[in-house]
Amino acid sequence: MKRKTFYQFTGPSIFLMLALMIFPLIMAIWLGLNYVTYYNINTPVFTGLSNYVDVLADPQFWRALQFTLLLIVICVPAQMILGFVMALFLDQIAARVRGVYLAAMLLPFIIVPVVGTMMFKQLWEPSGLLAYIYQVITGEAFFYTEKSVKALIILQTIWSATPFSLVVFFAGLQTLSPELLEAAAIDGANRRQQIRHIALAHLQPLIVFVGLISVMDTYRLFDNAFVFTQLNPIYHANTLMLYAYQVAMQVQRLDKASAMAILMVIGIMVVLVPFLISTYRSQVEER
Amino acid sequence: MQPIKHPLARGLIYLILSLFVAYSILPFLWTLLQSFKTVLDAHALPPVLIFTPTFSNYSQLWLNKVPAEFPRILAFLLAAIAILALVAIFVRRLPFSKAAVYWAIAGLTILTLWTLPRVVSTAEFYNYFLNTVIITVGTVAVSISIGCLAGYGLARFAGLDGVIILVAALAFRALPRMAFVLPYYWLATLTGLRDTYFLVIVCLVAVNQPFTIWMLRSFFMEIPREIEEAAMMDGAGRLQSFLRVIVPITWPGIISTSLFTVMLAYNEFMLVLVLTQSKWTLPVAMAQFTGGEDPGYITMASAAAVSATIPIIILIIFFQKHLVKGLASGAVKG
Repeated sequence: MKRKTFYQFTGPSIFLMLALMIFPLIMAIWLGLNYVTYYNINTPVFTGLSNYVDVLADPQFWRALQFTLLLIVICVPAQMILGFVMALFLDQIAARVRGVYLAAMLLPFIIVPVVGTMMFKQLWEPSGLLAYIYQVITGEAFFYTEKSVKALIILQTIWSATPFSLVVFFAGLQTLSPELLEAAAIDGANRRQQIRHIALAHLQPLIVFVGLISVMDTYRLFDNAFVFTQLNPIYHANTLMLYAYQVAMQVQRLDKASAMAILMVIGIMVVLVPFLISTYRSQVEER
Repeated sequence: MQPIKHPLARGLIYLILSLFVAYSILPFLWTLLQSFKTVLDAHALPPVLIFTPTFSNYSQLWLNKVPAEFPRILAFLLAAIAILALVAIFVRRLPFSKAAVYWAIAGLTILTLWTLPRVVSTAEFYNYFLNTVIITVGTVAVSISIGCLAGYGLARFAGLDGVIILVAALAFRALPRMAFVLPYYWLATLTGLRDTYFLVIVCLVAVNQPFTIWMLRSFFMEIPREIEEAAMMDGAGRLQSFLRVIVPITWPGIISTSLFTVMLAYNEFMLVLVLTQSKWTLPVAMAQFTGGEDPGYITMASAAAVSATIPIIILIIFFQKHLVKGLASGAVKG
């Protein structure tokens, strides 16, 4: 395909991405360097880096960062391990019933995140099933406290994200060559060794891929924390995105929130840049 | 992996998987149960599992006032949906062209959605549902049409700029939405476009475009070049051979991508929350169901949650193959 034809085909899409992704990103940088609130939205005042100083001096920002990192550290490994184990089990059962199991397991993933969180929360309302079971087992009533709300956000994140790693790992296991496993079995490798040295090695690129995606998704978690906390500050369970939203829409500090968004962009680069470089290399090779 | 032979071990595997399924669907089942309870039953302690079901939560959610002839209207609606579904399933056996039948179904659906509020007095929730339908359909239509062109171009062009565009798109996909949404909000307030379908659709198309072009490109790459080359030999232009030859054979892939785009638009919360004031979609409307002092909250929120989930479940039942294929094949995800 000629370059000119290529740009005719991709033109509309590129224009849209330029206009609504690159341009806004530049604008966010600019907003972060100005003083803009809802009241002077037409007349921003340039203030340099003062918004960034503001953000970095804000204890709530650090608390949100801490909670977001906690979420990543707990949820990403948990959902990947759970997904991998369930994929191994799913691989073992009869193909006839597999579809049914898989369909049911996908439910948390396909459900609207806000709705899924509401459903999860229903179980823990004062008259909810799990809240009652909790009370029967521990002898204490279940309340929404800082700890319990944070725990629920963590649990819900794992619940909704596990199906993704499960499906990807399961699909990966289907492409594992049976000859390789047979050869290993003949050489006396037991099942644990087969999983460790053959299945895990085979799935390695997928594991890296799922890990990166999960880290990036958890980093920008918003929906479930919004529903669980209802923007109530007493739970101290803000994620970075949720706190930026509050600063922008409730406090009406568009400038400070933009500075925070830019800091978030810089933060994710740690994971994103290696991912982009490896994608770039493989695409250049492939073409 | 080779199958485990030991019967006890196999039983254990089935047990663990079944427990995992239970864990996956428990929130949904519990909410479904709560949505059919009276307010009193929903608050009972210990929670009741056996009760007389009521539909009043659903009728309260969707309707302002239940009209006297409501059972007849409901029966008519259900019959209409059943007939349309049958027509859609058996479209190949009908003596009309497929496209004509699909257009007719789409037209009838729009007509029904539009007429309904004029026949019965629908509640706010129906408006949120309509907003969601409008925004989702608009986003899918625009996103897939420009995405197909771009995905095809990227699949066939070997230059380095193609790779750079792809990688840049991936970067934008991964960045936190807040960095785009705040400038959108600022511009929307300045231009007065806030709270319009147009703005929400355009922004949704833009933020989903990277995902769309990556996924569609992977499907177009599976189509051998010889096919369009043959068409072009016969005198068709690039665009013509793309539309007449390539698109029809890539159709399953395009459906797969559309399915994901539907879900992304239907699920979107933060962007719509920031960019709308009254044209809320279902997720935004439902996040406002706060607990507080209202005792009817649990049953209403449950009915709303189930109502919002049913369209997605129906969609997935019809297109499960596409969903799993898309998830598994894709080095991309929404």
